[in-house]
Amino acid sequence: MMRHSLTALLALMAFPLHAQTDYYNTDAGRPILIEDAYALERRGFELQVAPVRLSRARGGSYTWGVEPELAFGFANRTHVEVSVPLSFADRGGTRGAAGISGVELSVLHTLNIETSIPAFAVAADVLLPVGRFGPPRAYPSVKGIMTRTFPKARVHLNAQYTFGAAVTRLSTNTTLPTVDVSRWVAGGAIDRALGLRSMLLTAELYARKPLDSAENVEWNSGAGVRYQLSPRWAMDGGVGRTLTGSAQAWYLTAGGAYAFGLPWSAR
Amino acid sequence: MMRNEFLSRPLARLRAVVVAVTFAAMLFAPNAVDAQWVTTFETFYLQASHNWVFRNNYQHADRLFNAFDYGHAILYETLLTKPNAPAAELETRIYDRLTTQVLVRPPRNPLEEMAIEPMYTRLAPEAKAMFDWSHVLHRQIYDVLADERLDIASKDREVQRLIGYYKTRRDLAFSSKPKSMELMQEQSYSLAFRQKYPKFNGLIWGYHWFQVGLYEPLIVGTTGAERQAGVRSTVARFWQMLQDPPRTLPYQMPMTAAIAPLFAQRYPEAAIIFDNLHSMHDVVSDILANPAVPRNQKRAEILRAGRLFRDDTSYVMPVEGWRTMSIAMGLENMGGAAVNFPRALPIPTVTRGAVMQHDRQTGRMTGMKVGQMTGEHAGMDHGAAPVMPVVATPAAAPGHEAHNMTVPADATAVALPLQFRMLDDPVILRQVLADSVLRRKLLLSSDSLPTPQRDSVRKRLNFSVATP
Repeated sequence: MMRHSLTALLALMAFPLHAQTDYYNTDAGRPILIEDAYALERRGFELQVAPVRLSRARGGSYTWGVEPELAFGFANRTHVEVSVPLSFADRGGTRGAAGISGVELSVLHTLNIETSIPAFAVAADVLLPVGRFGPPRAYPSVKGIMTRTFPKARVHLNAQYTFGAAVTRLSTNTTLPTVDVSRWVAGGAIDRALGLRSMLLTAELYARKPLDSAENVEWNSGAGVRYQLSPRWAMDGGVGRTLTGSAQAWYLTAGGAYAFGLPWSAR
Repeated sequence: MMRNEFLSRPLARLRAVVVAVTFAAMLFAPNAVDAQWVTTFETFYLQASHNWVFRNNYQHADRLFNAFDYGHAILYETLLTKPNAPAAELETRIYDRLTTQVLVRPPRNPLEEMAIEPMYTRLAPEAKAMFDWSHVLHRQIYDVLADERLDIASKDREVQRLIGYYKTRRDLAFSSKPKSMELMQEQSYSLAFRQKYPKFNGLIWGYHWFQVGLYEPLIVGTTGAERQAGVRSTVARFWQMLQDPPRTLPYQMPMTAAIAPLFAQRYPEAAIIFDNLHSMHDVVSDILANPAVPRNQKRAEILRAGRLFRDDTSYVMPVEGWRTMSIAMGLENMGGAAVNFPRALPIPTVTRGAVMQHDRQTGRMTGMKVGQMTGEHAGMDHGAAPVMPVVATPAAAPGHEAHNMTVPADATAVALPLQFRMLDDPVILRQVLADSVLRRKLLLSSDSLPTPQRDSVRKRLNFSVATP
């Protein structure tokens, strides 16, 4: 059971939630993991307000997570973000546990805008050892992203690698599960926009190798929708499932992002 | 500590890198990479208390703008991706969809045009970014003018702040110097769109009439209720233009100084930027529609046009010349006034899509390159007739040298006070303002007057007298 909770938490915390303003600019984790290569607009902020994720692992253990996040487009084609994941793990019918699962800092830089060349981006982030469920040490990651647009759909490819020591189980104390990290993640997504409705339908398939050396490569799938509720609000919802591995958890996610800018003029 | 398998195999890693680099080199020749490696970016709109006020207070009008975004986007995408499609694809199928569905039930939110025109965006993301950035300025100025919490001085200050913010993106901002119409309609690729797709072209000009015309009721109205009524009236006028297309749609590109004279007088830089924006819209349509521009040259031509519309030197004309040119093109040819208009649509005085030529310094009409005058103007040979002597200046009224509209000097002393007296009568003034042809003739005839009298006439006729 402990292992299932651990796996479910992994799904919540292992990946950064890169923020962008509108429904068409996808975010990692909102609602699927694979994201596009475009950074938040310069001088734009995005506040992820209570994006919720519920996971259920084989065996019936549930994990809730909320990851408030603030992103800022501080330079041309570049944004930074900070997020504080909070999680609550139901430990198989016994009393659950809640806590912070680390603090995540990240930066994403779009290398180019798509023409006949696909759009490329690079990202770096670090998961800091903060909180009850946080990792015991910092885990930095690097990521490459590609987006290619076709008349009817877009395709995104992501590949991420995490540095740091492999462990069999990370724990901040002897009684509670904690966050896990992937050694690598690689996968793709396809999305189709319904432009007049300001809606995006998206689906993904990716593989990940847990940092836990005892775990095998996992295959995961997901699908979701992003919707522009108003010029400032974008909503999202999704569902996914781990196709292989011991837990084979599924998840539901829903969230909303609020966009705003700087009130003074740029030079 | 476990050693990572990937890191433990440096040779395998090196091989993967070499394969990737080789593949990339094969995929993109160096020149192609240089030409296609684009690093433009988006900037968030200026955060302010007036953000989205127009959307909240004038929902019915605001949503039309969202529909216009779709119309522009689907036009470019269709021209690019279906170059061999029959004209009916745009003129009938898409036009009907736009006017019977999209405009009738317009989207609630501003659209992400990249989702509508993905292939066009790939072709020229820099041009799309220019349009997007100007549309941001468009919308933010509506917000300011619609914000009842702001007094006139505050609105003026905010609009200037928005224009300043717009100009911070020098790589995207259209020039605030007026450009001659030569740039829009006398290039090698020009006129392809309006000639093959006259109805759709008229619809686009109808969009542009509405986009600049809607500023006028927001300025003319002195209370919130008056602004609401004025905007509703302008919206209704736009729908009237769609009743019998293309006859009822504009025959010329609507010029801001003609459609929204008070707005152009108050914010001339914004008016010029929007005219340049709308000209560039037409230019992109022509480049995409013209088969003489090879597909592999369309991007280069669009980027060239973008540079010419951004710089402050190419095809530039004086502000006063721009005003004169705008009047000479004929308000009645552009869809008519946006406020205080008569019930009937104005009757154009040129053939649809005609190309008038103007002196780049004075803005005066020098001839017709394509098309001709119609109605009472039919058969006029602009620029060919001798110029009549006039009061104060030796030149004839701009663009109408052959019309014998000039005022003999001995008649002026009698006619001018009479004209002022008539224009001071609110009933007469209302009728003059409602008659676009009469108003234009009075404006043109005022060109020959000394500056104080000319400005006085123009002020009465709601025409700009200030310069930026």
